[in-house]
Amino acid sequence: MNLIIGSTLKTLIVGAGMGGLRTAESLRRYRYPGHIHILGDEWHMPYNRPPLSKSLLAQDQELAQVSFPIKSDDLNTEFTLGDGVRQLSMEQQSVTLQSGKKIEFDFLVAATGLRSKKLVFPNNLQSGRFALRTFDDAKAIRQAVGSGKDVVILGSGFIGLEVAATLKGLGCRVKIVAMEDIPLGLILGEPFGEEIRRRHETKGIEFYLNNRVTDLVGNTAITHVKLVDGQSLPCDIFIEAIGSAANVEWLEGNELNLSDGLLTDSSLHAVKSNGTSVSNLFGVGDIARFPNIRFELPPRRIEHWNIPLESSRRAAREIVRQVVPGSIEGFESEGGFNPLPTFWSDQFEFSILSYGEPRLADEIRLLEGNLGEEFIFAYLREGSLVGVAGIGMKSKINEMRKDIIK
Amino acid sequence: MITIKVDMDKCQHYGQCVYEAPDIFKLNENNKLEYLASADESERDNVKSASDTCPMQAIQVFD
Repeated sequence: MNLIIGSTLKTLIVGAGMGGLRTAESLRRYRYPGHIHILGDEWHMPYNRPPLSKSLLAQDQELAQVSFPIKSDDLNTEFTLGDGVRQLSMEQQSVTLQSGKKIEFDFLVAATGLRSKKLVFPNNLQSGRFALRTFDDAKAIRQAVGSGKDVVILGSGFIGLEVAATLKGLGCRVKIVAMEDIPLGLILGEPFGEEIRRRHETKGIEFYLNNRVTDLVGNTAITHVKLVDGQSLPCDIFIEAIGSAANVEWLEGNELNLSDGLLTDSSLHAVKSNGTSVSNLFGVGDIARFPNIRFELPPRRIEHWNIPLESSRRAAREIVRQVVPGSIEGFESEGGFNPLPTFWSDQFEFSILSYGEPRLADEIRLLEGNLGEEFIFAYLREGSLVGVAGIGMKSKINEMRKDIIK
Repeated sequence: MITIKVDMDKCQHYGQCVYEAPDIFKLNENNKLEYLASADESERDNVKSASDTCPMQAIQVFD
């Protein structure tokens, strides 16, 4: 793409979450000269999602307490909220919103993120049934729960475990039903997962593992859930925490590769079904399925908090490189996008911190500490460090991140 | 000069900021965050990155 006159240049960012906001901020930081327009389907300005399962739910906080601070003058960005994108047309270089409004672009950043997966049951009741992805979801759960309520959480991943811990703290009776044998066992390994389960059980959380919910029981609202092993659990509030799906439907019809997210190349340009990269369309955040250079794995999405931030910076640099060539020092030689996956989780009084890809390990070693207290595991694949994770000991875990394979 | 403020009620001591602005933030031997409350203008970009990367959004930068 040739140099475009700054005043008429338009970058459209679809998605008003962290990835969208950070893309706009990064564009301004790299002195992108044109117009920026962020579109969001929620009515809220960009906010931070991790507190939704923790402080926001525990303390019934308001949006202002989780909103990202924005300096409007510096950001100089137009927002259109509460009006999601229905359809992209690469041919017309425009998007059509749910309202029917059409907006053209020179550069498009796809940052529409994820939505919670939900099951369909024979008795597919909705009242008393929740998932947690948005601020509104968290407020709805908070309004429904209370001391003595029976909560059943489906799924023993990070969201399920965090919500369980928070709702236990609010006096609910909490049960977790999951298909796994061990919570987080596939991600962090069996000893680590067993320790997490032990800590939750000590706090009174009940687990129904290697199990699944086959139906909901009740007339207008849920009273029980039925498990595949025949048990029936009392249930006032049913929370599905069974993972997420990428919001890519609006990208269909443009010959893009949309199998599990938006496939990108190693500089986050969208990739067409025929394998060629699109120069002015980028994937940012949870929906981007990018090549996993560090671990020599096929492209995949990474649903970790640091990915929207790092991918937004990279996409912004790619745009500015095209608009104002040579303006970013050292950028022409930048290698492929190669973020270090990073995650953390707060549950009860313990916190987990991890770098890399522990799930890739063929060997797991307890490196330091004791399972009942604070500890660190090292995760190795063919003798190389691919991940590190632990409870407590953050300083030491942080030191080890530099040892993970590049 | 810039002024840096960390909300220690929010901070969970994950130390992500340490990588963005190592001259300003560190985790001490007790795994607790320590930081400089003011810094030279040249640190502004690093501290802004640290603020962006904080999972708890606990870091603020003032002029």
